[in-house]
Amino acid sequence: MTRVLMPLAVLEGESVAYGLMDLLETMDVTVLGYHVLPEQTPADQAREQYEERAVSGLEDTAEEFRKAGGAADYRLVFTHDRHQSVERVADEVDARAYAINGATGDVNRLLVPLSGDVAVDRILEFVTELVGDRDIAITLFLASEADDADDLLQRSARRLRDEGLEVTTERVVSNRPFETLIEAVPDHDAVVVGEAAPSLSQFLLGDESERLAAASVGPVLVVRRETDGDGADE
Amino acid sequence: MSEAPSGQNIEGETPSAEPVVETDEATVTENAELERTLGLSGGLAIGIGTMIGAGIFVFPGLAAGRAGPAAALSFTIGAVIALLVALPTSELATAMPKSGGGYYFISRGLGALAGSVVGLSLWLGLVFATAFYLVGFGYYAVDALGVLGIAIGESLVIPIALLFGVGFTLLNVTGTENAAKLQNGVVALLLSILVVFLGFGILDAVGIVGEPTTPEQFAPYGPFPILTTAALVFTSYLGFAQVATVAGEMKDPGRNLPLAMVGSVVIVGVLYVATIFVATSAVGSNALSLAGETAMVAVGRELLGPAGGFAIILGGLLATMSSANASILSTSRAVYAVSKDALLPGRASRINLKYGTPHVALGMAGGPILLLTATGRVEVLAEVASFLHLVAYGLICVALLALRRDEPEWYDPDFRVPGYPVVPIVGGVASFALILFMQPLSQILGFLIMLGAAGWYFYYARDVTLKGAL
Repeated sequence: MTRVLMPLAVLEGESVAYGLMDLLETMDVTVLGYHVLPEQTPADQAREQYEERAVSGLEDTAEEFRKAGGAADYRLVFTHDRHQSVERVADEVDARAYAINGATGDVNRLLVPLSGDVAVDRILEFVTELVGDRDIAITLFLASEADDADDLLQRSARRLRDEGLEVTTERVVSNRPFETLIEAVPDHDAVVVGEAAPSLSQFLLGDESERLAAASVGPVLVVRRETDGDGADE
Repeated sequence: MSEAPSGQNIEGETPSAEPVVETDEATVTENAELERTLGLSGGLAIGIGTMIGAGIFVFPGLAAGRAGPAAALSFTIGAVIALLVALPTSELATAMPKSGGGYYFISRGLGALAGSVVGLSLWLGLVFATAFYLVGFGYYAVDALGVLGIAIGESLVIPIALLFGVGFTLLNVTGTENAAKLQNGVVALLLSILVVFLGFGILDAVGIVGEPTTPEQFAPYGPFPILTTAALVFTSYLGFAQVATVAGEMKDPGRNLPLAMVGSVVIVGVLYVATIFVATSAVGSNALSLAGETAMVAVGRELLGPAGGFAIILGGLLATMSSANASILSTSRAVYAVSKDALLPGRASRINLKYGTPHVALGMAGGPILLLTATGRVEVLAEVASFLHLVAYGLICVALLALRRDEPEWYDPDFRVPGYPVVPIVGGVASFALILFMQPLSQILGFLIMLGAAGWYFYYARDVTLKGAL
């Protein structure tokens, strides 16, 4: 089955929203409990002090995921750099996507933006597996000024419909894909996005999917880019 | 598999040890992973950032006063000794990429007594070094205020140093922002200032630009002061040991640890020697000596006018601050490594729930730092810091020889010292020998501290066994 990584600030009492757990019932989940330390704190010392509490919290969370349906395990990381740890563990467990936690009830509508330089095939494949035979409607969203945008949108919608999913499309002609995407979020319960290529704006403004999660309140699933290990086409 | 550490201390605490697997990216224990987050540039920034403050911004005046232009030779001697120790340290660090650095290698190679002496000495060595950096910072702060038109005189050097000592300690207890990126930036800025300054200074010194200067005698006071000066300025090379204390956090330690340690010693060594050469050529060693701790400001003014003086003041403030901060930061790891092995009470490295920082260890450093800063004795502070580190360096070389002789099964370093056994033997002998050239007060203080550390071991933890226990 496809694996999703669920990073969780376990010692800060962060817990996974029920809606997100239910949404991920079709997936294998690795819960990544992490604790970010200030640089003056040796990671090993934090481990000695907090390990027990963190492990018990993670065991509970993994158990809840299992109750919701999928297989679940957990890892625990003490780190000075959250991003690096998430990337490393995602590679090691070969996760197709990672989740950004957010508040949501039952998920009935998914927003799937295809704007920008993202791996559309991987996103569609992931969405198909995620939804499975459940009654979850998809909105494919594309903000672009390119002429062939409609074509891409229709092709993608057809592909999902062939798999039996309920799809609507939304095309916005705009050169501000992020802002228009935020406007489209309120009608949806969760978002599935593709991981964008590292860029200057990401460096300056922070990761786009993190900003999206902050702006949308709800959970965001980020489909990872092809990594070298996968060997498939890039 | 090696044996586990054993025994218990007077409070019944036992050394905590768990089987771990070290990878290039993390340390994996039974239930958790500890991410390695420092790359080569981070390691170099720690090494260079800790070292650069003292050698360039505080010592030139003092060194030139003692040894004349031959002070450049004193710095060279220091660099060579540091290099001879950095190589064996690199080998041990790649064999045991753990936090705790020198303490860890010695306790595993030579046993708990030597480990206790070195562990506690290295911690106090950092305390002395930090106090020294803070006093240096005080001098630069007074100069900076002077440039801004607020002449307050040297009587305020110590109060300012104390104020910032309190500030840095509080910052380390409460600060949860990651300052590593800031440190990298500060080091990059310092290196740029120095390269411009030295580039111009060397052109000036060889007579291509500027006024011709009369060359003075290279070693006006003879060879002996060159060695005592080398002992004094050795504090400028203590930073590479701080790289070893974060060995547990370095990515790809087999490659990055040796490069960061040897690289930072080579880089600062070259900069130091060039700086002394430029400084003594530009204003002469007598003028340098008169200007004392902030002599480099005079050199900056001489070479590049008021802007040059201002740039050096700015550099001096940044460099002494970054050295002090990096040293305070290392103390928490030094205390943790020792308390993990039950040589200090475990509560010494407890983490504060609110900030996630080891407030006890930082406080244990901050208190003595302020006390020592208040003495204002720049040379003694520097020498005692060097004394305590040099003992550790000498023992690191001995530990390497002992481990290489026995080659226990677990001993499998990625990096092996070139020129074995000459390098560790010469490095060890030179480290111990340099101590002989310090002033008597520093020697007595250093010796008493070591005696105290040994006494503590016999009182508190004589049953603890660490030798060969990975």
